[in-house]
Amino acid sequence: MNSVRNGLLAASAIALALTASPALAQDVPREQTVIFDLDRTIADPTNFNWFTPGAYQRVQGAHQAMWEPLFILNYESGEIEPWLGTSFEPNDTLDAWTLTLRDGVEWSDGEPFNADDVIFTINMLLGDETAALQEAANMQQWVESVEKIDDHTVQFNLVGANPRFPLDYFSVRIFGSLLIMPEHVWAGQDPETFKFYDEEQGWPIGTGPYTFTTADTSRAVWDRNDDWWGAASGFIELPEPQRLIWLESGTEENRAQLLANNQLDAAQTVTLGAFEVIQAMNPAIIAWHGGMPFSWPDPCARQLEFNTTVAPWDDPNMRRAINNIIDRDQIVNVAYEGTTIPSRTMFVEYAAMAPFIDAILAEGMTLPTSANLDEARALIEGAGYTLNGDIYERDGEPLTADIIVNSASTELTRAVDLIVEQFRRAGIDAIARPVENSVFWGTVLPLGEYDLAYTWLSCGSVNEPWASMNRYTNHFVVPVGERSPGFNNSARWDTEATASYTAIVDEIGSMPLGDPAIPGMVAEAYQYFHDEMPFIPLVQASKLLPYNTTYWTGWPTAEDNYIHPAHWWNHTHRIIHNLEPAQ
Amino acid sequence: MSDAQMTSEALETADAGKPERTMGRFNKWDTPWLNGKLLTGAGIILAILVMGLIGRLVWDTELAFTGSSPLNLPPVGFENNRGQVGEWAHPLGTENSGRDMLAVLLLGTPNTFLIGAIAAAAGMGIGIVLGFSSGFIGGWVDGVIRLAADVTITIPALMVLVVISAVLRQIDLVTMALLIAAFAWQSPTRLIRSQVLSMKESGYVRMAKLSGASTIDIMFKEMLPNLIPYLFASFIAGATGAILAAVGLETLGLGPQRVPTLGGTIYDAISAAALLRNMWWWWGLPTVLLALMFVGLLLVNLGLDEIANPRLRKASK
Repeated sequence: MNSVRNGLLAASAIALALTASPALAQDVPREQTVIFDLDRTIADPTNFNWFTPGAYQRVQGAHQAMWEPLFILNYESGEIEPWLGTSFEPNDTLDAWTLTLRDGVEWSDGEPFNADDVIFTINMLLGDETAALQEAANMQQWVESVEKIDDHTVQFNLVGANPRFPLDYFSVRIFGSLLIMPEHVWAGQDPETFKFYDEEQGWPIGTGPYTFTTADTSRAVWDRNDDWWGAASGFIELPEPQRLIWLESGTEENRAQLLANNQLDAAQTVTLGAFEVIQAMNPAIIAWHGGMPFSWPDPCARQLEFNTTVAPWDDPNMRRAINNIIDRDQIVNVAYEGTTIPSRTMFVEYAAMAPFIDAILAEGMTLPTSANLDEARALIEGAGYTLNGDIYERDGEPLTADIIVNSASTELTRAVDLIVEQFRRAGIDAIARPVENSVFWGTVLPLGEYDLAYTWLSCGSVNEPWASMNRYTNHFVVPVGERSPGFNNSARWDTEATASYTAIVDEIGSMPLGDPAIPGMVAEAYQYFHDEMPFIPLVQASKLLPYNTTYWTGWPTAEDNYIHPAHWWNHTHRIIHNLEPAQ
Repeated sequence: MSDAQMTSEALETADAGKPERTMGRFNKWDTPWLNGKLLTGAGIILAILVMGLIGRLVWDTELAFTGSSPLNLPPVGFENNRGQVGEWAHPLGTENSGRDMLAVLLLGTPNTFLIGAIAAAAGMGIGIVLGFSSGFIGGWVDGVIRLAADVTITIPALMVLVVISAVLRQIDLVTMALLIAAFAWQSPTRLIRSQVLSMKESGYVRMAKLSGASTIDIMFKEMLPNLIPYLFASFIAGATGAILAAVGLETLGLGPQRVPTLGGTIYDAISAAALLRNMWWWWGLPTVLLALMFVGLLLVNLGLDEIANPRLRKASK
């Protein structure tokens, strides 16, 4: 009897020891810890399969601290900086690219990172028949095969000329890049279901200077790996912070309190009003600019996405009517409190995009900054609607518009509340439908389960036009209920105009960057888009990102602009390496 | 307080009450309805309602919608964080999506009452029918109704409401009230049933039965008038509960989206960090109104309780 009891006690002691996370065993002082803000719940804290469709299994620190990119596009210098890769060179016809990897790179379990890992990862994506895995659609669009030249050299044979191949997929052009996974772990696993997590085996692993310690739905903790290859090989020194934490901050009120109390070092975007108060409470808080507008222009301009397969939004005239209902100036002044500007085209208003924007504007394709309700009403009535009281009706059915909005941020819900008012003023029974972040990206958008949505899906171009334009070509059209590959053309725009648009965009895609013919071709293709408006560009995005200098300095600012400040992107490695303790 | 004490006190007050009651019969001002608590409570509620109803005639209620006014203005006589002072065009200030607070409150306060009234009336209506049927008819009818009430009363209403309101396309005031009413009929049902059970044995009911009155007649013509103070008190309690449930849902962001409500305004204020931004007029004014409303309802309820229960009335004198 006694032995049974002792046995049980011993077993529970072991169980306790096993479940107690290593984080508890070792306490890291606050001044050696950097706390990043997470604007969403970690839906599945022990899933490190970043390919999972719709899931954002990397912003909890995985691609900022553990997985490194091959190259980093630095928005400030305009250069593509080498990281795990050292060079990516094309042949003369731009349809074969040769990647050279850095020497001495190791996974955190000691295995070398080499050409085999690259080839394995790309082949896995090429073999994904549903093209649902993240980046699979992109690889299948371009890559015919990958060849190993030697341990550190890989040749990508493309199906056609692509001058932007390294930029688009391997250089953190926006948010993320195609992350290479270790062959010795992933081989034989089903990439759709594999979680890449096993405490005993030490999974997940990466090449970055931090390894995973623990996570739950609201936080993830990463600790420095002092045996990191980068320091050993002389690539860069070990970063200063011993521990990195990603913490879900919740509401803006919470975020502000955490910043005021120095419990957060890098925060997600806040409204101007909140920022002013946070700064008054804690003078150590800074942002990209030292004064108005404080914010950094995010490359993903905001837009109103239609599901072009659903009546009445399958009618281009109805979509044009909406374009006339929108009052962009009001969205800027009310929802964004003057921290951004109206969009003039689908493109982000970066200096490098000016030639293409100008070419479009020169052809007279402009977006009104204020509403033109008379024209909107004429278009709606032309589609057979009549006003009954305040709301339009057709065959006894009221004209409704459910606008899906991601509830993760006040920025988005505020903008949509205002758009709803603008719709109502024009006689459309509009409502905002806030949905949870994972539902928004996981099902609603990719499966086309929406009528209208507030999105930024044309996001892509930052220094050339093809990346954004390509997203609305007819290569990606799938029926409602099937997953849009890579969120491309979720609007399911598929008309004769789309075909003409696609033909020109494909041609642009095969031309060298900077070819003088491109701006004219952009304007030509854009005419098809502008006539049918599968989505309506609204306003530029701005991110007012508070950084805290109480414990750490070296954050990116407009003055110290060594890189752009979006700390949930894959280039955050650069930021972390630049941090210095303040005390 | 021990049971013995309570009984003796009750006896004392009952004894002390005897002579007054016989005297008071001839004084027309000694009607139990002139109850101080009842009048004060009703006065508060009426004042709030009248302000809401008259206010919307004289003030532009279109200002209650997003983007209609300048942002973040403080009430007249105050200054906001940026040093802007309040304007008479927006006497109670504005919030950060450009809604005028006065217009929001003028629309939102009666809306909140309306939800309470509809929900309580619907709950009460169901309660009367089921309570009477259960108590008077008895038998298997009683069994089924009692079981249904006892089982559903244990379901945490807010939880179910959160799920339902998340599924609906659009929640307007009436939908919301009816949703809440679905969880507000059990208490009136049980209350009325117990009253009916005790009343069923009284002389006048037996007399009515002997005279051949129909069940419906006995239930609604003979017994119901005697229950009016009870029903009233129960209605007020129901309305209070319904308003509380509605405000709870609204404050979680699950209320009507576009129609201004007090709870919804508090939700907006919280999600936009109004506490931190020192925009007290945004969260404070609706909170004060809600507090006043609940105090008013509580007083009415206490007053009605005293009217329905003479012992309480004497004790308070």
